[in-house]
Amino acid sequence: MVERIEDLNLPNAVIARLIKEALPDGASVSKEARAAIARAASVFAIFVTSSSTALAHKQNHKTITAKDIMQTLTELDFGSFVPSLSQDLEVYRKVVKDKKDIKASKKDAADASASGSGAATEEAT
Amino acid sequence: MKSSMDTGLITNEVLFLMTKCSELFVQHLAREAYAASCSKETSDTLKYEHLSHLVNKSSNLEFLLQIVPEKIRVHTFQEMLRLNRSGTTSDDDDDDDSESESESESDE
Repeated sequence: MVERIEDLNLPNAVIARLIKEALPDGASVSKEARAAIARAASVFAIFVTSSSTALAHKQNHKTITAKDIMQTLTELDFGSFVPSLSQDLEVYRKVVKDKKDIKASKKDAADASASGSGAATEEAT
Repeated sequence: MKSSMDTGLITNEVLFLMTKCSELFVQHLAREAYAASCSKETSDTLKYEHLSHLVNKSSNLEFLLQIVPEKIRVHTFQEMLRLNRSGTTSDDDDDDDSESESESESDE
């Protein structure tokens, strides 16, 4: 499925932006360092995924849950990520919920207008 | 990215989490390496050497040792090879490791 290692790399521009955000103003990053970070990030993603999969399997679950990832991160000594991640997760869940609500209300509105226009055409005829 | 592993189903939530997680990781890596380099040098450029140094130092980055190896000079490498041959233990694994290191060296 993956023919070359480069196929796994994350988008370069995104990596560059993230690094820039993390470093103070005026700091520059060598090309080599950026490539190394990109490589490290893709390996990290695969590493965490496979570890959480193993963890989920151990508990006889087939799907990875957010909890599995948090636990894996703690085990891998990246516990410092967990607080901000759970914060982001909460925001994400809220956004998804809001979207669903909006969609639902839109659908209701559409249904209402559809029936309304239906009535209007009926009246016209 | 994740389809490369033998993972089962992935919910959107987990996908989001992994994305965020990778983002944090990139920033963490950059910040740590930069902090380590700035305390020693006055230059404000983040170089590959800083990263490989950080990877070598931190235990939680162990899994990156093969991905971001320390650079070595060609003659040091040749010396290692000679030692490897003179000692009867010439492991294939060792050879592979050194090869990847020499590759990154040639990038210089």
